[in-house]
Amino acid sequence: MPMMIQEMMWTRPPQQAMAKNTFSSEFRNIDVDQYNEDNYKDDDGEPQSPPIGVDEATIVSLMNAGNHADALKLLLANAPVASKGKNEQAKDMALNLVLKVLLSVNKSQMDQIISSLDKTQLDVLMKYIYRGFERPSEGSSAILLIWHEKVYNAGGVGCIVRVLTDRKRV
Amino acid sequence: MCLHNFNSQVVERHNKPEVEVRSSKELLMTAVVVSRNEKEKVLIEPSINSIRISISIKQADDIERILCHKFMRFMMMRAENFIILRRKPVQGYDISFLITNFHTEQMFKHKLVDFVIHFMEEIDKEISEMKLAVNARARECAMEYLKRF
Repeated sequence: MPMMIQEMMWTRPPQQAMAKNTFSSEFRNIDVDQYNEDNYKDDDGEPQSPPIGVDEATIVSLMNAGNHADALKLLLANAPVASKGKNEQAKDMALNLVLKVLLSVNKSQMDQIISSLDKTQLDVLMKYIYRGFERPSEGSSAILLIWHEKVYNAGGVGCIVRVLTDRKRV
Repeated sequence: MCLHNFNSQVVERHNKPEVEVRSSKELLMTAVVVSRNEKEKVLIEPSINSIRISISIKQADDIERILCHKFMRFMMMRAENFIILRRKPVQGYDISFLITNFHTEQMFKHKLVDFVIHFMEEIDKEISEMKLAVNARARECAMEYLKRF
């Protein structure tokens, strides 16, 4: 009898025979690569909140006054650019406003407006033109094509390449 | 079209077109759409070693839809001879091209671009020609058949 009790003290229940965390094989389902420190992180140091979009009323009032150039410049200066997936709502609202302005400008004014924009603003404008192409509506693509040609003449191939490679999407 | 050779980061000794694999965010660039109207558009997806160009062709009515579908299928089945054609179009488009850095190393870049542009221009013409031919043949057949009555 004493021998049997001693044996019972030595044998433990199977769950505690080895270290507890290897009993389940859930660890095989974890993707270890995501914890790799070398992984590319899209938003290196972006704690600052993106600039708040422009108020719609100001844009509408500027457009009604016929001052499309200023409306466009205001929108471009405050464009909410961020990496993909962030701040989508602000980006969509800004896109709608920009498209409204772009579609209401007529050809003669386009040259004037484009010549008054600087390089960074041209890049942002090109980004908006490409985003506008994604949602074609009645006649919009034709006007956007004219805008695209004029901005390309002003900005060159570099403008388009910057749209393709910039991680901050508009 | 600046494509560089880039070995796969995920699997050793493999070299895959990154735009198809889409495993690492930093290797892919912004996808861009250029559209003429709601029906016709071109999607361009660049990455570090490959580009995917997808074209959506204007199809106004049923006949054009069938002709386009059959024509594209004909070409995609012979994709190996085209070299840069993709066997299946990207979702939402009619035909897709996949150009990798190996293609640009073997062929002239400006010629590749010219080919794609030429293709887009010719496609619409060919489909309208085929549609006219189909209608003409149908008319001839109907006339011959109805002469009996």
